Amino acid sequence: MIVRVLDIGIAGLLLGGIYALIAVGLTLQYGVARVLNIAHGEFIMIGAFITWSLYIIFGINPLLSLAICGPAIFTIGFLLYRTLFRRLRISSASPAAFEGSSMLACFGLLFIIQNLAILIWGADIKGYSYLAFPIRFWGQTFAANRLITLGFALAIGLIFYFFLTWSRLGKAIRAAAQDAAAAELMGINIDQVLALCFGFGALMAGLGGTLLSMSYKIQPTMGLEYTVIALIVIVLGGLGSIPGSFIGGLLLGLVGSIVTYIQPGLSLVAYYLLFMLLLLAKPTGILGK
Amino acid sequence: MLQVSDIDTYYGNIQALWGVSLRIDEAEIVALVGANGAGKTTLLNTVSGLLHPASGRIEFCGKRIDGMAAYAIVQLGMSHIPEGRRLFPDMSTRENLQLGAYPRRLWKHKEKTLEEVYKIFPILKEKESQLARTLSGGEQQMVAIGRGLMSMPRLCIIDEPSSGLAPVVVDEIFQIILRLRNEDIGIFLVEQNVQQTLEIADRAYVLENGRITLGGESKELLQQEVIRKAYLGL
Ligand SMILES: Nc1ncnc2c1ncn2[C@@H]1O[C@H](COP(=O)(O)OP(=O)(O)OP(=O)(O)O)[C@@H](O)[C@H]1O
Ligand SMILES: [Mg+2]
Repeated sequence: MIVRVLDIGIAGLLLGGIYALIAVGLTLQYGVARVLNIAHGEFIMIGAFITWSLYIIFGINPLLSLAICGPAIFTIGFLLYRTLFRRLRISSASPAAFEGSSMLACFGLLFIIQNLAILIWGADIKGYSYLAFPIRFWGQTFAANRLITLGFALAIGLIFYFFLTWSRLGKAIRAAAQDAAAAELMGINIDQVLALCFGFGALMAGLGGTLLSMSYKIQPTMGLEYTVIALIVIVLGGLGSIPGSFIGGLLLGLVGSIVTYIQPGLSLVAYYLLFMLLLLAKPTGILGK
Repeated sequence: MLQVSDIDTYYGNIQALWGVSLRIDEAEIVALVGANGAGKTTLLNTVSGLLHPASGRIEFCGKRIDGMAAYAIVQLGMSHIPEGRRLFPDMSTRENLQLGAYPRRLWKHKEKTLEEVYKIFPILKEKESQLARTLSGGEQQMVAIGRGLMSMPRLCIIDEPSSGLAPVVVDEIFQIILRLRNEDIGIFLVEQNVQQTLEIADRAYVLENGRITLGGESKELLQQEVIRKAYLGL
């Protein structure tokens, strides 16, 4: 029994690490930059497919892909904000109007990115095998790639947390999230900071996609499911809270792993149920105010 | 140091400022008084770059700034301490103050500047790790002023620093404003507390319905019948 609990717990963390990463990404985009990025999952999908292509075609180690996908997808996100979302923000009459129009723009992005991906890679499910050998500890066996995925997700989360807490730019990001006009009065270039946040959000999604592709099958339509998961996690963790998203991600991973143990295939249903219960019981989330 | 010439500012189609002109010299306290809704905050926001005038010009230290973004104006040596304090609620006192020195050239010396600010507000050093939203109103106003000083400004714009504070705390804030002037910082002060403000200010302007209706030495304004009737209730 104890072994089984441990087994489910660790499996949950393995899944939760990725959820945490992508949810932190969405928090940066929605909590700070105010863009409810419905296309978040598409950046995950792109990260996964670039990694897959680099591995299959050029034999590039997926872990090395982190260093390729990361900057590439960051740049896409940054430029998207500088062009599309910045213009929408300036032309919107109010912050609420911006949230609406930017979400619609993200819907457009979702279809564009997804269809481009289908054109390039086809609609089939793909996958590759990388570090799939088993590792034994505590009497259990785990695939090496899943452990590496968890390790990297935790490390990326931790590095980003320290960056936000200690660095000059990190403080500017937190200030912009709490009061954008006051941050501007401190000499912070808000447009720049929001674009960086959107870029960092895309970066997290891209890295999440790379890590996902190491242990899960991928396809061009996979994005939406992860967008929904990330949305659930950021509400679970408390809107706008970065540590909350991280913890929420790990928690949702645990829930997923428990439900999968009882009845595989019901995990997404369980997430929705949890989400609705939460909205009724504590709409501000775990770490929300 | 600051020269505002004939500016009009709009919110959408609604005009809030009409041909406003004024000037502030080095190390001078200039007060701006006016009823609620007169446009005082609008004027300050236009000067600091949060709003942009539709016409007219604003010069600061010889540079034209009316088209510049607020973050760039800060770097020229103007700091705006906004109405309602606008601290970063989930950051500590210390982090709030540090952010006042955000421009790169100031960030390097922020720890030294911080010590200077703690000398002016010793209580803030005791509360340095407390979250801003848990500070008292007076302490929050001190953080707001301290944060504004962290950019080592030549001109400090202060919007209603005394609002919601007990009289003793208000006196303390006014003393600090005097002290800043003595350290060669120019002050542009908006206040509801007209009597006390005119007592510490060198000059003052009166804003009514978006227009400057009166301006001059504050000692003289204190004697004027219109001011005594409308703002001092005498
Ligand atoms: N964001 C805004 N959008 C539209 N109108 C605004 C906005 N902010 C202020 N106004 C209007 O502009 C006018 C001037 O407002 P402002 O805040 O500058 O007054 P104030 O003199 O600072 O008043 P108070 O003493 O209450 O702070 C008011 O009529 C107000 O309703
Ligand atoms: Mg005002």
